[in-house]
This record gives sequence, C-alpha cells and structure tokens, in this order.
Amino acid sequence: MSRFFLTLWVGVLFGLGGSAVLTAQNGSYDGNALRLEAHNGDVRIIRGVQGTVLGRIGTFRGLDVARLVSSSEKATVEAEKFARDYGPGSWIAAAGLATLGAAVGASQVDGVNRGIALGLTLASTGLIVYGGGRLQSAYNALSRSVWWYNRDLEK
Amino acid sequence: MNSGIISALMIGAAVIGTTAGAQTNGHAGAPVAAVEAGTPAVSARRAARTDSTRTTDSTRVYDTQALRIESSWGSAKIIRGAPGAILGTVGWFRDYDVEKLVESSPQAVADAHKFRTSNFRGSVLTAMGATTALVGIVVTTNSSNNAASPMLILAGAGVMAWGAQHINRGYDALSRSVWWYNRDLTAK
Repeated sequence: MSRFFLTLWVGVLFGLGGSAVLTAQNGSYDGNALRLEAHNGDVRIIRGVQGTVLGRIGTFRGLDVARLVSSSEKATVEAEKFARDYGPGSWIAAAGLATLGAAVGASQVDGVNRGIALGLTLASTGLIVYGGGRLQSAYNALSRSVWWYNRDLEK
Repeated sequence: MNSGIISALMIGAAVIGTTAGAQTNGHAGAPVAAVEAGTPAVSARRAARTDSTRTTDSTRVYDTQALRIESSWGSAKIIRGAPGAILGTVGWFRDYDVEKLVESSPQAVADAHKFRTSNFRGSVLTAMGATTALVGIVVTTNSSNNAASPMLILAGAGVMAWGAQHINRGYDALSRSVWWYNRDLTAK
C-alpha cells in the first residue's frame, strides 16, 4: 500500500511540475512584458504589472530599444527600424516647424517678396508631413517590436 | 509491477491531464499521459512533451489573437495578430467598442472603459478649446484693440491642452487594456 502512495505521489509531482512551468510563463509575462505609455510628450517603455519605467523616448531623445528587446530576433529588427526612422523624423519635423516660423515671420515683414513666404510655407508643410510620417513609422515599428518581444517571452 | 502501482500511475496521469487541459483552455492536444503510462520516465517524457505543446499552442494563440496599436495621423488602429488585420480605428470623436473586443479579460475591460471615457472627454474638450481659440483669433484679426481676444486664445489653448491630457490618458488606458488582453490570452 505504501508503494501505491509513493507511486501516486510521483505521478502527482509530474502534474505539479507541468503547472509550475505554466505559472513561471505567466509570471514571465506579468513581470517582463512591455507596453508603451505616453507622458507629457514622452513615450515611456514600461515593464510588467508593477509598471517599472525602463526608459523614455522624447523629442530628440531616443533609447536603445534594440538592446532592450535583444532576446527576440523579430523585435530587434523592428527596434532597428524604429531607430532608423526616429532620429531623422524628429529632426525633419523640427526643421519643418522652424521653417513654418520663418514663413510666418516673412509674411509679416513689409517689402519681402510674397513668393518667399509662400515657398517657405510649402517647404515647411512638406518637411512637417515627411518628418511626421517618419516619426509615425518609427512609433509603429516600436509598437511591433514590443508586440514581438512579448510574444517571444512565452517561449 | 503489480496492479496497485499501475493504478497509482493512472491516477497521477489523470491529475496531470486535468491540470494541463484546464490551463490551456482547450488548446492543448491530447491529455498528457494516457492510460498506457508505464514508468515514471515515460511520464516525465510525456509531461515535457506536453509543456512544449502547450508553449507552441500559446505562441500560436498569441500569433493569431494578440492585439497591438499602431498610429495613423492622429488616429490609432487596433491590429490583431502577426498578419496585422485591422479591427478598428479609434481617435478624435472616433469610437470603437474596445470593451467588447477585450471582454474575455476583466482587467482589460476596466482599462478599455477608462479609454472610452477619457477619449470622449478629451475629444469634447479639445473641440471646445479649438473653437474658443479660433473665435479669439477671428476677434483679434477683426478688432485688434479688443482686450478679450488674447484671453479667448489663451483660454482656448488651455482647454485644448487639458483635452489633450485626457486623450493621452485614454491612450495609456488603451495600451494597458491591450497588454492585459494579451496577457490573459496566453495565461489561459
């Protein structure tokens, strides 16, 4: 009879072993999965249920996302896309805003050729739209990077 | 090996099967150890195989069901799975029933509700702020000596900033909602 209980115990332990792995996987998501939240113009990368802030991405302030998500191959590819688009996007959009300021200034000054103000306005619109597009691509790549990273946490 | 040991192993195997079946929400393959489990070594091998199957299933569920958000000129698209099917778009006065989408996860539903409330409030406030600022600009253009016009522009800008804060808070709640939803997809 004691052998019966011993063997039953071994069988149950195997069962509990399986549950323990699942709990660890779940804990892995709870403790390590990333998400993005915005805060006063910055985007924060936040980890886990407890909401640890790992880094901030703001105007002209990037973050080495590729290193952060290096455990997932696809997440790293997307993080590299983010890095490729974010810097140029920020600078181009900023240049567009500066050009827009110059266009407004030029339109207020008497004697300045109206063509200059118009040219500056068109140039600023183009720069803002192009820079904004690059920034949008960057943030979308960041979103995909986080998605792949969280997906590969489950392994 | 006597029949008592075989019975004990069968009961143990049944316990494993029940646990695995309950936790994988019906996505797992066959129950872990079938009746023919003979030795603890075989049980261990089967248990390991089940874990691997469970992980594969969990990854498959994530690949097809997990959500993410991508932006599109002021709006946000809710996208499902690796292929990237667009389920809906949310934004300024643009609503999508996120609560229904994430209804399988209670915490996700709570955050989706916060998103809906904040997004609506933010949309109303930014619209009010923009209108006030626009009126201020028009008044300034037509009668530059009117003292009220700068106040209107400032008040409008302030209300717009307040509204933008609500919208921001809404998107944070949406991000958390998606996070919880994806978490509960793989935890089941």
